[in-house]
Amino acid sequence: MAKFRRLALQVSAALGVVAALTFVFFDLIRINATTAGFFYLVAILMIATSWGLFESTVASVVAMLCFNYFFFPPVGTFTVADPQNWIALFAFLATALTGSQLSARLKRQKQQAEDRRLEMERLYALSRALLLVDSTLPAAKQIANQIAQAFDFSAVAIYDRSTGTVDRAGPDNLADIDLKLREAVLQSTVILDKSGDLTITPIRLGGEPIGSLAISSAALSDAALQSILNLVAIGMERARAQAAVNRAEVSRQSEALKSTLLDAVAHEFKSPLTSIKAVTTDLLDQTPGLPPQQKELIAIADQGVDRLERLVSEAIQLARIEGGKFGLNKGVHFPSSLIAAAIRQMKPLTEGREIRLQAPDDLPLVLVDAELIEMVIRQLLDNALKYAPAAPITITAQAKQDAIIISVADQGPGIAEHDQARIFDKFYRSSASGAQVKGTGMGLAIAREILRAHDCDIWVQSEPGAGAEFSFSLPLAPPERLS
Amino acid sequence: MSAGRILVVDDDPQIRRAMRASLTARGYEVEDARSGEEALGKLRQESFDLVLLDMNMPGMGGEETCRLIRTGSEIAIIMLTVSSAEKDKVAALDAGADDYVTKPFSTPELLARIRATLRRSPQALQKGLQKLKLGTVEVDFDSRQTTTRGRTVRLTPKEFELLSYLVARPNRTITHRELLQGVWGPDYGDELEYLRVFINRLRKKIESDPAKPRFLLTDAWAGYRFHPPA
Repeated sequence: MAKFRRLALQVSAALGVVAALTFVFFDLIRINATTAGFFYLVAILMIATSWGLFESTVASVVAMLCFNYFFFPPVGTFTVADPQNWIALFAFLATALTGSQLSARLKRQKQQAEDRRLEMERLYALSRALLLVDSTLPAAKQIANQIAQAFDFSAVAIYDRSTGTVDRAGPDNLADIDLKLREAVLQSTVILDKSGDLTITPIRLGGEPIGSLAISSAALSDAALQSILNLVAIGMERARAQAAVNRAEVSRQSEALKSTLLDAVAHEFKSPLTSIKAVTTDLLDQTPGLPPQQKELIAIADQGVDRLERLVSEAIQLARIEGGKFGLNKGVHFPSSLIAAAIRQMKPLTEGREIRLQAPDDLPLVLVDAELIEMVIRQLLDNALKYAPAAPITITAQAKQDAIIISVADQGPGIAEHDQARIFDKFYRSSASGAQVKGTGMGLAIAREILRAHDCDIWVQSEPGAGAEFSFSLPLAPPERLS
Repeated sequence: MSAGRILVVDDDPQIRRAMRASLTARGYEVEDARSGEEALGKLRQESFDLVLLDMNMPGMGGEETCRLIRTGSEIAIIMLTVSSAEKDKVAALDAGADDYVTKPFSTPELLARIRATLRRSPQALQKGLQKLKLGTVEVDFDSRQTTTRGRTVRLTPKEFELLSYLVARPNRTITHRELLQGVWGPDYGDELEYLRVFINRLRKKIESDPAKPRFLLTDAWAGYRFHPPA
């Protein structure tokens, strides 16, 4: 409505100018028709330059009529006596209209150039402001505020696809816009809302829509809109990358802290264990004449230390593994050394048990965290010892394509089929194990986590009544690690 | 007669007490130190045959202490580590230790390691070999040192034994197991990291370009081989 009122006002003013000129030259200062015509033209050009094409066109027609009525003989009528004056009259009209058009176009171009300059300035201000986005606060909200401020938009809303949030800025509250913002992203199209000059555009990064932007504004060139979208896309992506870096840093620091703590715990527990172990083993070694009863008592203490040491080590290992991420101390090892070490560490439990080791001497080396893989072998051996008492246990290692397969087989009661799938789950204990065997239900879950960390697998083959065979694969050491 | 003088370095008093009791009973003379700094002081004043060095000590840690001892001495060093993780073993050997034992250890195991570390194998000397010229490097088997363009570097006992073992069997691939048992003793055989660290240490002392060895060659998968100069 404001537009129409202004137009009406300017048209009236233009007509007023023409009327004033007519009045001055017809009533006050009598001049000839040619001079009057020139004055009309000058006035029309000025109207075109300062107000616009429509105003100057109306003024041109009215001026032509006045020119005809007041200055061409016979004066006071619209009739033209001399045919030459017809030509002059049309030349006047053509000149007025053409001049109007040229002046108006010039004015429009000047206005456009001014608009572009303003947009450029605002875009520049926006891009600078986006560089200074505070990475500790939500980015989309800040970006929306910066756009509203830089361009004086009455309302701005940004929808972030990754978080699903909508952030608003500006004096107007775009309340019912959420659905449309989502729609713009999903359909990847621009939505124009007729009521209130609202434009909703998807924000794309590398062709992929990452959100959408709603702007309430009457006049914004396509180029400026595109520039804003690019800036927003870069700003959002930058904020996201910054957040990812921050998260990684926090996670790394907490991982380092945890590792330091666990090292300290290990040291504190192992120092007293070391002195006890040194004493018990020395007593058993040094005094052959010890009465059997005393020797037995020392042996009990010695085995207790071993068990405690293993518990401490595994509890610490478990604490490391349970964090999800844990560093592997990978090294090149002989598969048979790993098995031998695991059997050695199980010493008191394996006494009096038949353990067959089938591993060719020429097995290739593996690249693993020896401590963890020895823990897996110990766990499987421990299970076999517990669930298949008094039966021989066979440990085999063999090369298969690009991996080493280590298997621990017992001749115990085996594992029911419905248990086989779930036996590696945390806290799961087979229905058969019930009350007879002690355990936490953690062992196989830990084993699987360790092998997963090596990108390897563990599986079980068993027929109820015919024993169980647990197998896992280990990665071969790449040739460059062998020197 | 004493079986040898041992310096026990550990911050835990109970461990020092237990070590002192066990080792003294086997005929060793034992001194102890609570920290790396104290150990370095004692080593300057008295002579020892072997140092039992704890890896995790407050203040100057075991690794740093070991490195400082090595700057002026070829004394036998056994490190006591808490973790059996590969990186800690390699760190101990890299710092210059001859061997390491993981806590908690059994006393017989520790005694075996001490005996193995103090043992001197006479392999090279039996053949009457006294000097060996390897390119620009001269190895003197009598004084256990190498000389390169006037610069003298001494070999630690284990480095010397490893080199002697290989030199006494030229042009033959010695398997990891044979090398470990021949140099460290019959209780050894799986400790690949020992060989990796010690061969690297030797190469730095006798090869002009340790990255491209000409004399101490690696036979991948199998072992090491001494290639005598033409």
